[in-house]
Amino acid sequence: MDKNFQEEFTQIVKFEPPLYKQRYQFVKDLVEKYKPKKVADLGCADCSLLWMLKFCSCIEVLAGLDICANVMKEKMHTLSPLPVDYLQPSERSLTVTLHHGSVAHKDPCMLGFDLVTCIELIEHLEESELKKFPEVVFGFMAPSIVVISTPNSEFNSLLPRVMLYRHPDHKFEWTQAQFQSWALETARCYDYSVEFTGVGHPPTGMEKVGFCTQIGVFVRKYPQTGESVQSEKPMEAVYKTVFKAVYPSLKDEKYLQNAVINEVIFTAQIIKHRLMSKREEYGDDPEKKSKFQPSMDSFSDYFGKLVVEKNMEPFVSGNEVHIPLTTIFSFPKVNRLCGTFEKLCKLIAGKVTLSSDGSAVMFNIEHDNEEN
Amino acid sequence: TIGLQVSSGLQDLSLRDRGGRRRDFHDLGVNTRQAMVHVQESKTGFSGKVIKLTTNHFRLTSRPQWALYQYHVGYSPEMEARRLRSALLFQHEETIGKTHAFDGSILFLPKKLENKVTELFSRTRNGEDVKITVTLTNELPPTSPTCLQFYNIIFRRLLKMLNLQQIGRNYYNPSDPVSIPNHRLMVWLGFTSSILQYEENIMLCADVSHKVLRGETVLDTMHSLHSQVGEERFRDACAKELIGLIVLTKYNNRTYRIDDIDWDNNPKSTFRKSDGSEMSFVDYYKKQYNIEISDWMQPVLISQMKRKRGNIQGSVALIPELCSLTGLTDKMRSDFNMMKDLAIHTRLPPEQRQRELGRLLNYIQKDDNVQKELRNWGLSFDYKSVSFTGRVVQGEKIFQSGTMFDYNPQFADWTKETRGLPLIRSVPMDSWLLIYTRRNYDVANTLLQSLFKVTPSMGIHMNRPSMIEVDDRTEAYLRVLQQRVTPDINIVVCILSSSRKDKYDAIKKYLCTECPIPSQCVLARTLSKPQTIMTVATKIALQMNCKMGGELWSVEIPLKKVMIVGIDCYHDTVSGKQSIAGFVASLNQTVTRWFSRCVVQSRGQELVDGIKTCLQTALRNWSKWNKCLPSRIFVYRDGVGDGQLNTLVNYEVPQFLDCLKSIGTDYSPRLTVIVVKKRVGARFFAEIGGGLKNPPPGTVVDTVVTRPEWYDFFIVSQTVKNGCVAPTHYNVVYDTSQLKPDHVQRLTYKLCHMYYNWSGIIRVPAPCQYAHKLAFLVGQSIHREPNLMLSDKLYYL
Repeated sequence: MDKNFQEEFTQIVKFEPPLYKQRYQFVKDLVEKYKPKKVADLGCADCSLLWMLKFCSCIEVLAGLDICANVMKEKMHTLSPLPVDYLQPSERSLTVTLHHGSVAHKDPCMLGFDLVTCIELIEHLEESELKKFPEVVFGFMAPSIVVISTPNSEFNSLLPRVMLYRHPDHKFEWTQAQFQSWALETARCYDYSVEFTGVGHPPTGMEKVGFCTQIGVFVRKYPQTGESVQSEKPMEAVYKTVFKAVYPSLKDEKYLQNAVINEVIFTAQIIKHRLMSKREEYGDDPEKKSKFQPSMDSFSDYFGKLVVEKNMEPFVSGNEVHIPLTTIFSFPKVNRLCGTFEKLCKLIAGKVTLSSDGSAVMFNIEHDNEEN
Repeated sequence: TIGLQVSSGLQDLSLRDRGGRRRDFHDLGVNTRQAMVHVQESKTGFSGKVIKLTTNHFRLTSRPQWALYQYHVGYSPEMEARRLRSALLFQHEETIGKTHAFDGSILFLPKKLENKVTELFSRTRNGEDVKITVTLTNELPPTSPTCLQFYNIIFRRLLKMLNLQQIGRNYYNPSDPVSIPNHRLMVWLGFTSSILQYEENIMLCADVSHKVLRGETVLDTMHSLHSQVGEERFRDACAKELIGLIVLTKYNNRTYRIDDIDWDNNPKSTFRKSDGSEMSFVDYYKKQYNIEISDWMQPVLISQMKRKRGNIQGSVALIPELCSLTGLTDKMRSDFNMMKDLAIHTRLPPEQRQRELGRLLNYIQKDDNVQKELRNWGLSFDYKSVSFTGRVVQGEKIFQSGTMFDYNPQFADWTKETRGLPLIRSVPMDSWLLIYTRRNYDVANTLLQSLFKVTPSMGIHMNRPSMIEVDDRTEAYLRVLQQRVTPDINIVVCILSSSRKDKYDAIKKYLCTECPIPSQCVLARTLSKPQTIMTVATKIALQMNCKMGGELWSVEIPLKKVMIVGIDCYHDTVSGKQSIAGFVASLNQTVTRWFSRCVVQSRGQELVDGIKTCLQTALRNWSKWNKCLPSRIFVYRDGVGDGQLNTLVNYEVPQFLDCLKSIGTDYSPRLTVIVVKKRVGARFFAEIGGGLKNPPPGTVVDTVVTRPEWYDFFIVSQTVKNGCVAPTHYNVVYDTSQLKPDHVQRLTYKLCHMYYNWSGIIRVPAPCQYAHKLAFLVGQSIHREPNLMLSDKLYYL
């Protein structure tokens, strides 16, 4: 079921971009349009479509299913989070799971998806599997949208060197009429609407053969039934999970807290640094010290203009620098992460040294000069 | 290198170096011991007390008669694509088995196929019939270099299976990071691993490694630089701070080195894709990765790609906003507080270090997939680390002006013992300058008074200096130097108010090249604390004396007519233009005076030619001092990178010999060349009182974890306050000294006592540390060869 490989000969007709890329782009456009949160790719093979989809910011759950575990394993590590994903956790959460199993079997892990894609899948199914397929996908999984693509056999005459089918593993290849009648029947049966389109335009003059790849987009006509229906019939899991990656996300309290603490301390350090270098400049002249105003203009172009109110001024007392939390909260980055001042206080409680009344971040300056 | 048959393609299966370079990091196949007859039988020493040690090496075991079978795989008709070749071959897993490693033409199997030549038939997806011929080409014994490389590949596969993230050469666990928000740093715990043939066994050497990552993008850094230095110096500051750093990108798992910053381009600029079409970065990242670049004014980073076989050289453009920084800059390294905060997490004491390592082995042992893979290849590990015995050689006696004393071997330091003793040779400070700014007038006086207090007991005669007040500007300092420094001046002392490098560089440059006079720069801050001023003044007095040609202490050197040479290199990573080799050679019997020179070489040139000249002048100077030529020469060569040993042995050593030959036909001194390596993976732990401790200074290891094809040993010479002590590896690559290994080891250890900037034992022989200091000063501040008038003084300390 190696789609990319199959294109090696389709390219002889020169589709630009290659046909498999056009199919993936089609799915991507669909994702952009409908913004599904949970997407499953049935017959995901070497996971290249899943890899493309993991960059779509609307998707929070991605699942792949294939009958061949080896082909999935070959490149599944490309679906793992990157070091940078840990360094800068993103706003959205994302879980990617790969399952080993057949589309002829029902498994509860496939419930609740918004979009299910079956790209160049059905023609690989044995007759018995194809029979069960609509019930599994449309009846059981019942996502809002299903995309099914399959070769259009009418186009084959234009492809050199195709003897019977485009791929030795294909069990059948349908004409447009065959695909459409199967699709309409399925849609009718499970209360979906279907529209037909495709990728890979025929050469001029040959328009009637249709697209090289025919595509049906099925949209469920009834509203989401909710999870309740499923829970009534607890089922056994039949798929085997071969891969699971949970991406770090700010939705996860652990990462959010980390990010906030980092940002708070870093911001406070900057303010302290400015404060201290100002002090050094003025020396220990008490007169000048009393007039001291924290000037943040020099770096405000980056951190955003600040409204410095009276109670927001950082100050030095003895060996301690106090940087009010309100000042820190006014920095856009901190503000964006926490949303509310209360949330900020909650997240840093016990993790950052605060003044006795809890209103300011505190640093000891003695500590700094040690052993320099 | 000889005997390496694993193709780069196979290496790609699991490990790819940055830029796809392929290097033999372990210097396999460099067999230097075979040429040295006197160490054929044994290369071990004998002196010292026996100590029980464990290490971070783990035995690799395979079943008896284990072999790796190497096959060549041919296709008829010829198939180009590697993926296709693999797919076609793997249709026959029932014949070749499920366990295999294949790079497209070479196939490794853990079992032998029935026939020497196996023919298989596959059909491509468009119905073409292909004949695959699998031919046995090699039966590799477990110890063959190819096999060793293969083990390393398999081991990396295992680490990947454990979901560790590869960054550069090592693997890290991202799920449990330590963050240090004060400095916006994050530390990942990971592992370095290498599998090699050691003295008796093939072993895995595994160590805990820490990756310092930074929670900011290159663009963030640029912004904060901008706010720090302002528009005018912004570009320079960026170049200084960023070039040479390694970045990770947001969209793939590759690391890139920043080689340049292209200010003429921005994300809206276009580039040519591999298919020839032009596209802007903004569009590309949007289309390819759904990433929106928010700042369209940022410049573009350039990274040079070094491809395999060196002929394809291209560059990659990177967007600052999409790059995260890794590692530390020099600026960060010099930040004391930052390094202190980091050390808490990265300097693990022995027990903890072994515990972390145990966790990795535990993962390996517990993971079913990993165990299955190992089983399939017929391999397994000993999960208990190797233990053996080492020796602790006795401490040295320190001689200082007629007195002799021992030091506490636990601390390897004689600061206390040496206090109040006269130096071996003190240089009087009859005429000297003390330069300071108005603000530091008090500090200058404090220093002067303190110096007057501490110098008499050292036997240093000191007159009042000319005190000169200057404005706090570089030009002001230079003008004073030009006006006031005369040849009769012994030393110039400058008190600097900040650690700004430009002032320091300008002073050093002038006084090392145009006007060769020893100089001492002191930061005002260092002198500002009354409670430490005497200690500081003592240190400064000693340092100044060495810079003027003084001698502090000595150890007993039993060899006569010997010249000791130390060489180290400094590579300018920032501008990437210069390499500097520091060269230091002893001048007297007590090894207390040194001749120092350096070689400044631009990119592409070989350092070794310059080193030859250095050796010639060193010999001339030695004979001037001793009225004869040395009969023994020891070269301690530091700064040899992983994988460069072959070049050193085959190119540099013959050059040394040539150089000696050129002195005279009847001159044939005994030569010993020892490669010194500080960065090694091996760690030793002493089993003391049921726990693991750092081995004491003087611990020598020359069995079990050394390499059979080398005459090598480890010495732990220094002590560390926290963390694990790193042993130094010594590899004697050439030796006509006829000395016993024990004597070479002892001499090496003695030399670690002779570094005058530290009254204790250091990690490497003193000449290496001197050479390092010299190369560093020239590379960082002077950028050209210092005046030879200074070459008999340690002016660079």
